[in-house]
Amino acid sequence: MNAPLLVTETEAPRPARTLADFRLIPRIETFPRCVSFAQTWPGKIALLAAFGLGLRFFDPYPTVLRLVLPLALITFVPEYRRFVLALAPLCLLVVQLGDSPLVVGMQFATVAAGLVLFLCARRWPNSLFGQRPVAFLLAGFSVLILLSCAAAPSTLSYRVLWALVGAMAIYVWFIGYALMDRNATPRADTSLELASFRPLWGSTTTPFPKGAAYLRRIEARNEQQLAIVQLKGLKLLVWGILLSLFQAWGTKFFHGYLRIPTSAQALAMSIHGTPAAWHLRWESQILFFFEVTLSFAILGARFISGCRMAGFNALRNSYRPLSSRTIAEFFNRFYYYFKELLVDFFFYPTFLRYWKGHKRLRMTVATFVAVAFGNSFYHLVRDWQFFQKDGFWKGLASYQVLFFYNVIMATGLSISQLRKRGPRPKGFVRGHLLPVFGVLFFYCVLSVFGDEDRLYPLAAHLKYLASLFFIHF
Amino acid sequence: MKEKAEIHEYVQSLLTNSGDDGPLSDHESLLLSGRLQSMDAVEIVMFLEENFGIDFSQIGFDKDQIDSVDAIYALTQTVTNRN
Repeated sequence: MNAPLLVTETEAPRPARTLADFRLIPRIETFPRCVSFAQTWPGKIALLAAFGLGLRFFDPYPTVLRLVLPLALITFVPEYRRFVLALAPLCLLVVQLGDSPLVVGMQFATVAAGLVLFLCARRWPNSLFGQRPVAFLLAGFSVLILLSCAAAPSTLSYRVLWALVGAMAIYVWFIGYALMDRNATPRADTSLELASFRPLWGSTTTPFPKGAAYLRRIEARNEQQLAIVQLKGLKLLVWGILLSLFQAWGTKFFHGYLRIPTSAQALAMSIHGTPAAWHLRWESQILFFFEVTLSFAILGARFISGCRMAGFNALRNSYRPLSSRTIAEFFNRFYYYFKELLVDFFFYPTFLRYWKGHKRLRMTVATFVAVAFGNSFYHLVRDWQFFQKDGFWKGLASYQVLFFYNVIMATGLSISQLRKRGPRPKGFVRGHLLPVFGVLFFYCVLSVFGDEDRLYPLAAHLKYLASLFFIHF
Repeated sequence: MKEKAEIHEYVQSLLTNSGDDGPLSDHESLLLSGRLQSMDAVEIVMFLEENFGIDFSQIGFDKDQIDSVDAIYALTQTVTNRN
C-alpha cells in the first residue's frame, strides 16, 4: 500500500535497474505521452473501450455496459461525476424492481432510512443518537434480526421482516460509514453519501472503498489527475485478469491434473472415515490458503479498478500479502477494506475510549473487540440466511467454527502487535524468509477453520487439524 | 518549531520501522497514501496522548488529523491553544 495518493506530475520512464524495479505491467501512468493521450477524446474512448473489454473477462455484457456507460459520462463530463454516481445505482434498482418488488422495495426503504439517519445525526449531534449513531445502527439491526427470528413463518410480517433484514445486510456498513463521516461531510453536498451507499463499480457487503469522506479525499481534481487515476485503474484490471488466469490454470493443474483434493473435500473425506494421504491433506490446505488469497486479490482488483476509472484513486485491496513479515501486516495487506472496516467500526472506538492508562491491555482489548467480536458480528449479519433457515439459536451455533477462527486470529494479531517493533534483522533468511514463512504457516493452519460452508462442528475441524500433525483422537 | 521537528523525527522512525527509507516531507500524506498503516496511526495516537496530552475521545478522531506531519503539528497547536 505504498503508492502515493494522487500523482500530480508525470516522470519519464526509467529502465528497470533491479529485479525489484521490474513491472509485469508497465507503469503507464508515469509515461507523459500516455497521460497526455488519455486526456484527449480518442484517448478517453480508447481507455473506456480497453476497460470495457477487460471487464468482459469478469462480467457479462449487460453488466459491463451498466458500468461503462456511466463511466463514459463521468470521463467526458467529470463535473457531473457525483450526480452520475448518485443517480445511476438508483436507476439500476428501479430497473430491477420488476424482478422482486418486495426485495427491491425494501432496498429503497433502507437507502431512504439510511439518509434519514444520516441527516438526523447531523441535525442533532448532541442527542443520544447523534453521539453514537453507529452503535444505534448496529444495535437496531441486531434487534431486527431477533424480531425476524421470532416472527411466525409464512406470514406477511415474516416475509417483510426478512426482506428488510436482507436489504439492511447489504447496506448496513455503507450507512455506517456515512454516519461515521457525518462531521466530515460538507453541508451543501451529500451526493457522494448516496453514491457510496451502492457504489456503481460494485462491492461486497464490505464497502469498497470505505465511505464518502474517503472518496472526497481521493477524488481526481483535474483532467490530468483523472487520466492518471484511470490509467492506474486499467492497469489494476489487467492485473486482476492475469491473477484470474493464473488461478484458473492453478485449479486445473493442481486439482485436475495432480488430483489434489480441495480442502472441503479433504475435510469431508477425513470426517467420513476415508482420509486422504497426509501429504495430500497438507497440499490441499496450502492450496486453499493460496486460492483464498488470490480470490480476494482478484475481487479487489475488479472493484477498485472500476472505482479508479470513476476518478477515485483508491488503494488496492490486496498489496503483496505473501511478503508480509508479521501477522498484523498480512491482515492489513490481505483484504485491506475489510480490515479498515473492523478498525474504523470496532478498533478505534474501543482503543480511543477505554483503558488509556494501560497500553498493552488497551491494544489487546481493542484488537479482540475488532477481530473476535467485530469480525463475528460482520459475518453474523452478512449470512443472516442461517438464522432464517435454522432459527436463532441453531443459526448461532452454526457459527462456532468462525467464532473459534476469530478468537485465534485475534490472539495472533494481539501478540503480533504487542511484540516490540525494531529494525529488521539483517540477511535474507533471518530478515525476510523466516518471518514470511512463519506468517504464511500461521494463516495456512488457521485456514483449516476458514471453511464458510459450516457443514461440520468445531470438533471435526479440530480433529482434522490434529491429523495434519499426526495426532489422532 | 521544536515540536514539529520532534513529530517529524517520530514519523520518520515509524516509516523506517516499516522498511520505508524514502524521504519524508512535512505536507506528505502518510495514512491515506498507504505509507503508514492503521497500526501506525495507533502509535501516533499514543505518541500524541503521551507527549502532547491530546485526548481523542474528547476531541473526536479523524485520520485526516494525523495524515501528515503538518496536520499533526496543526492538531497539537489547536489543542494547546484551546487548553
